[in-house]
Amino acid sequence: MAAVAEAARAPRTSMLGARLREAGWGYAFVLVPMAVFGLFFVYPFAYMLYISFHHWGILGNQGSAGWGNFGEVIHDPIYRTALKNIAEYAIGVVPLEMALGLSLALIVNAKIRGRNFFRSAFYFPSLASSVAITTIALYIFSYNGPFNHLFGLSTDWFGTASTDTWAIVGLNGWTTSGTVMLFYLAALQSIPTDVYEAAAVDNTTGWRTFWRITFPLLKPAHFFVLVVFGIGALKLFDQSYIVSGGTGGPDYSLYNPILYIYEDAFGPGAGAFGLAAAAGVIFFLLILALTLVQWLTIGRQER
Amino acid sequence: MALQTTAAAVEPPIPGHARSLVARRALIYAVLAAVALLFFVPFLWSLVTSFKTIPDSVNVTAFPHPWTGAAWHDLWTNYSFPTYIKNSVFLAAAVVSCSLFISGLGGYAFARLRFPGRNLLFLLVLATLMVPDQLRLIPIFVMIVNWGLYGSFWGYIMINLVSATNLFFMRQYFLTIPKDFEEAAKLDGAGYFKTFWRVMLPLALPAMAALAILQFQGTWNDFFWPLILFGQGNPSHYTLQLGLQELHTQYTTLWPQIMAGSVIAILPILVIFLAFQRYFISGVVSAGVKG
Repeated sequence: MAAVAEAARAPRTSMLGARLREAGWGYAFVLVPMAVFGLFFVYPFAYMLYISFHHWGILGNQGSAGWGNFGEVIHDPIYRTALKNIAEYAIGVVPLEMALGLSLALIVNAKIRGRNFFRSAFYFPSLASSVAITTIALYIFSYNGPFNHLFGLSTDWFGTASTDTWAIVGLNGWTTSGTVMLFYLAALQSIPTDVYEAAAVDNTTGWRTFWRITFPLLKPAHFFVLVVFGIGALKLFDQSYIVSGGTGGPDYSLYNPILYIYEDAFGPGAGAFGLAAAAGVIFFLLILALTLVQWLTIGRQER
Repeated sequence: MALQTTAAAVEPPIPGHARSLVARRALIYAVLAAVALLFFVPFLWSLVTSFKTIPDSVNVTAFPHPWTGAAWHDLWTNYSFPTYIKNSVFLAAAVVSCSLFISGLGGYAFARLRFPGRNLLFLLVLATLMVPDQLRLIPIFVMIVNWGLYGSFWGYIMINLVSATNLFFMRQYFLTIPKDFEEAAKLDGAGYFKTFWRVMLPLALPAMAALAILQFQGTWNDFFWPLILFGQGNPSHYTLQLGLQELHTQYTTLWPQIMAGSVIAILPILVIFLAFQRYFISGVVSAGVKG
């Protein structure tokens, strides 16, 4: 208030000067961040588009390719395998994350001793290094590892084409469930208690209360988790790379869109940057479509 | 996350009801113990295995027989883990400090200073969140190679100087600080930078702490960008995560060594998590999902 009164009293020119000075400092402050965003986020995006329309090998630009790279990627059976794998993975892992996350949230939302401790314990795997977690899982589920010893089995869970995707589904479902738990926990705590009091008056059992009241009331949370973690699942890379040692698994069973880009560029005898960039653009469009769906639908739910 | 610590209301003693309550409570604790075991055992198992001999590492025994520190010694002397750790610590420290300063500066300007085009620029920052980080792989790699920065730490630091999430986080925090502080500083004749550096930044210390912790965790665990920038046969620049992955790929049966490496990769995050839990949990819920 005082500032406004003072500004009104001051001559026009000095007010303009103050504004200019503030704007100048504003630009100076955002100069470095904006330069970084321009150089390492915006420009690379445009550059990726440019590369995707050129024959681009280890020697650099070898001339225009038109839509050639895109055609080649779309008709590549390995890219189809990559898409099929990531669809399988997402369809497997997202419901698992939701089921585990919600169950954990219900457990640690109960009035129990040490629930903070359990919340932390369940959340920790989400924070630990993906390489370390994955190598531990590779050890436990290896051909002659503890899991197989314990149950008298002999499957190399992460090394067999028919089981490796599902092994990663199990691993990542376990790792991520703690994060999903936090979102469900926040949602559970925002449900007004009088809803439950009404249920208690009606003498409804716990199980029915959950399915009839809690679960439907969590609808916005279900939707949020489904979309956000669904998009997250499509970006799978670390685990597939580590499990297969960078090869993409037996019979391309661990290929996925990001690993496909990586292998085009850095795989054996590759250096096909034009193809890799085209695959990147295609994948971006896919994610963009899903993100727009997310914005439109979540935005409408919150209104 | 404040917890409702309301003590359970004292209920009139109804024997049957009480008994079923006790039974339910027991069931909850049993389930909890079982689930907690599922979350602890893998970590404990890797720790125990790191003290086993190689032949012993495939046995399902809770204790090593015999105990040996050979795997740890091996990592130190034969597999350059000290170098990997040093590289990881250096990169994490560099990225955290740059990121803190730059997102503090930018976040403050976007929250408080008025200049034409501010909202448009901020929208541009937020728009970069639409592009998955990993999709920068091809153009960034080509740029870094063209600039002769391939296999250098500087390339890694440059592309991670600031992220939209961090800038957004700092801006949101600065918006919550009352304007009185800046006005007081202005009356004292402090310039814009001095106001930011001496007054606003110290006030934003809680946010900076949270950001430092989350960014440290992100950089320490980062596997993707070190793989792209140092991964093609440049072991002197390997980070811990890269070294661990390479160790597993090359020597699949050295389980004690690999598990010791995993313990080292996890331990700093565990320590930080135990010390600063609330930052992690509030960070996730407020900032949404990262990456």
